[in-house]
Amino acid sequence: MTAKDPQRLRRIVVAFVLMLGFAGVLCRLFTLQVLQAAELTVRADRQHRKTVTVEGGRGGIYDRQGKVLAINMDVPSVFGVPTSLENPSGVARDLARVLHVRADEIERKLRQERSFVWIARKLDPEQGRSLESLSLEGIGTVMEGRRFYPKGPLLAHVLGFAGMDGQGLEGIERRYESYLHGEKQLVVLQRDALGRTVFPKGLNEQAPSAGHNVTLTIDEVIQYIAEKELDEAVATTRAKGGVAVVMEPRTGAILALAISPKFDPNAVRAVSPDRWRNRALTDAYEPGSTMKVFIAAAALEEKVMEPGTLIHGENGQMTVAGTVIHDHEKSGWITFSQVIQKSSNIGAAKTAMALGEERVYRYIRAFGFGEKSEIDLPGEAAGLVKEPKNWGRRSLASMAIGQEIGVTALQLVTAVSAVANGGWLMKPYVVSDVRDGKGQVAAQNNPQVRRRPISAETAKTLTGILEGVVTNGTGAKAAVPGYRVAGKTGTAQKIDPQTGAYSSTLFVGSFTGFVPAENPRLAIVVIIDEPHAEAWGGVIAAPVFRRIAEQALPYLGVSSQAPVKLALAMVGDPTP
Amino acid sequence: MTRRRGQAGTLTLPWPSSGGSTTTRASADGFVLAVAVVLALVGLVMVFSASAVVAGNRFHDSIYFLKRHLAWLAFGFLLLQAASRLDYTVWRKMALPILGLTVVLLILVLIPSLGVVVKGARRWLRLGPISVQPAEMVKLVVVLYLAAYLTRKEGRVTEFAAGFLPPLLIVGVLAGLVLLQPDLGTVVVIGLVTLGLLFLAGARLLHLFGLVPIVVPAVAVLIWKSPYRLQRLMTFLDPMKDPSGAGFQVNQSFLAFGSGGLFGVGLGEGEQKLFFLPEAHTDFVLALAGEELGLVGTSAIMVLFALLVLKGFQIASRAREPFGRHLALGITLLLGLQALINAGVVTGMLPTKGLTLPLVSYGGSSLMVNLLAIGILLSISRDRQGGGQSRGIGGR
Repeated sequence: MTAKDPQRLRRIVVAFVLMLGFAGVLCRLFTLQVLQAAELTVRADRQHRKTVTVEGGRGGIYDRQGKVLAINMDVPSVFGVPTSLENPSGVARDLARVLHVRADEIERKLRQERSFVWIARKLDPEQGRSLESLSLEGIGTVMEGRRFYPKGPLLAHVLGFAGMDGQGLEGIERRYESYLHGEKQLVVLQRDALGRTVFPKGLNEQAPSAGHNVTLTIDEVIQYIAEKELDEAVATTRAKGGVAVVMEPRTGAILALAISPKFDPNAVRAVSPDRWRNRALTDAYEPGSTMKVFIAAAALEEKVMEPGTLIHGENGQMTVAGTVIHDHEKSGWITFSQVIQKSSNIGAAKTAMALGEERVYRYIRAFGFGEKSEIDLPGEAAGLVKEPKNWGRRSLASMAIGQEIGVTALQLVTAVSAVANGGWLMKPYVVSDVRDGKGQVAAQNNPQVRRRPISAETAKTLTGILEGVVTNGTGAKAAVPGYRVAGKTGTAQKIDPQTGAYSSTLFVGSFTGFVPAENPRLAIVVIIDEPHAEAWGGVIAAPVFRRIAEQALPYLGVSSQAPVKLALAMVGDPTP
Repeated sequence: MTRRRGQAGTLTLPWPSSGGSTTTRASADGFVLAVAVVLALVGLVMVFSASAVVAGNRFHDSIYFLKRHLAWLAFGFLLLQAASRLDYTVWRKMALPILGLTVVLLILVLIPSLGVVVKGARRWLRLGPISVQPAEMVKLVVVLYLAAYLTRKEGRVTEFAAGFLPPLLIVGVLAGLVLLQPDLGTVVVIGLVTLGLLFLAGARLLHLFGLVPIVVPAVAVLIWKSPYRLQRLMTFLDPMKDPSGAGFQVNQSFLAFGSGGLFGVGLGEGEQKLFFLPEAHTDFVLALAGEELGLVGTSAIMVLFALLVLKGFQIASRAREPFGRHLALGITLLLGLQALINAGVVTGMLPTKGLTLPLVSYGGSSLMVNLLAIGILLSISRDRQGGGQSRGIGGR
């Protein structure tokens, strides 16, 4: 029959060709699904899955009263799906109106051959709402945690700030990053071709836990007072800047730390990074006469001087190592107390010379100068205290009057706190405790003694002398009615960057002291950098000290002595 | 035999009386029916798996496509049952009227107010609540027409002007109308089916090969004149060149096959259907089957098609009527070639065409036409003679 049926052969040929085709398809399927399976699976997974780090919310930062200083807010971020856009330029125009950015920039992003692009991240909730009301196709929003500082610039230099991805970059945010950041969890997200997250794979039942909450030693109210008074002083003296630090002398806890000019951590890019520096601890300066406090402490402790020891003032001029040291107020024989109270450079130089290089160096170092205080903030400088072997012939006299030495405002307030604290030098700190979400304490700072440079008796004697600075010396404007104030003024010439010599126009005026003198609750340092016109610390910095103290003391409930005195007077003077 | 040929020309006698044969009608081929049912069921499951996400996204109804697929499937199986019980020789009488009707429909679909444009092609004709694709019908109509023609001209296909050329002209007109939609995939299928049937009917090889210098330049011009066809061809030649652009479809298809591996990721677990794989429920349903059912699933589907083709050839060989033989061969070629081309496209062996996988893919017209074709094939299988006998099969 085969011979008679030529078409049968043709049917066999066609059937054979078709079977060859099916065999070819099967071979091809085998290649794709077995031989190349591993490679293709990897590529498929790459496009389906995206591993993202999901982080619990960042912990908050609170002041010592529990007031919020930094929190996390969920704010909208907007993204585009270029592949599903039909009219990128129109969408870009609409977006540009809401986001206040250039339309062509958005359009460029939307024209990329990608399935997902960020258009703008961490917007204001307001912008998110107006975007949603537009309901543009191919544009979506997701909520992301943004760091928010509700008090704006308040305490900005201590708080620091966190970056776009929530990592601490400066200040507490940076130093306590390991506690503040939320628990990190790797999550494999499944995506569809439109770049949308479909269903998370392997997401733990439990959401990643939030970061720890940090409570500061800072008191928001005192901080506000310090910032307000410092800013005002800087403004009225048209100074370049200023620093004010308020410390609790017995513990070393910082109650306020104000820097002027300030910045808003909610908009850090608006100012130059230079402004972010916490200059109370990053910048060292020549302190000038405030250094006499510690020379006096050394002299009293070493019994080289007593308050009543007479020192000759050389009528305002003394030559040391070929250079002349001047006094603002010419004097003859004055007591050691008066040397401090009138801020006699000659008297201080003579005191230092009586102590000798070794003891001056030892005491300066003992009070914490030339070393980091180990405060729990980043960027601290050690300052500069030369070793005696590197001293020149004038160095001893210079250091007595606060020259040839670099100190930070923090070192100064810590050292003066030691005088207020019976001689105990404390370690400064700004964080009191760190707690987890359930309120369990994870870390805690307790007052910590570093050393004791002087005895309680010396501290007491010195306090008496420093009270005299305010009652009848250069620091009269620091006097707080109703409270006994001990302190010291300082006026330092700055080194002119052009000439390398002391400038006659650039000054740093300062005041450092504590109150109440008999039972110190506050140690304060105020530094005004490059004021115009009047530069004396007693004139420009002492009033700031007073205004901070006279508001902070009643707030802390420290009773004023004025009514007590009045009552004693009434009791003690019943008869004429 | 001569008597039979004469009868074929008169179109008068119904099947049972022809040739005064004593044979009674056998039962329809159970194997073919089983294969069709299995493929349709696989299609149903894959269409639901593939389309649920897209449908939920587009129509907020995850069973949107499933409902429609089920409706077409039910209607298609009714057609299949009816056609398998109907004496297939009636199609011989109806071939020309149906051909005329189809030409009308092909013209109607080109009229802008009637034809519905989807993705740049005017392919759908809206008839009340349903829309149909005349191009899908054209495939079967061409088979019906050619079977009738070859039966009438049996023995004269070897002649050029009287036998070989006329069907080419008729099919050429149909192909031209389909090309205007445009739908090159359908044109390729009907072209190949036509050439295949002419070859199987005994057309001269000289005539067939003589077509090559005509067809090849024509296809080349068609491709060259159309940017999207050219792009598809370029993409086919180098799919990795632009994986996110034109090569996207085929690349995604590869990824689907690859991640399925030997046994697949499991039904409903496929990730490629999440908008990565374009047309996952229609043209690329095999790729999704590859991902979810693995090589086991895809090779089973391909083997089923291969068996269907072999069975089709067997039915053709056993058909008592030359018309039945030509019709069975045409239907077999139609289903087999479409399945091969679709699989070839999806696995990257052929450039992209808009062709569905018969019986499996979503698409009402295609499903209906293919089930009807199976029904006709079953009807032919009833009219069989012993496998060993070769009575009348093309014998001259």
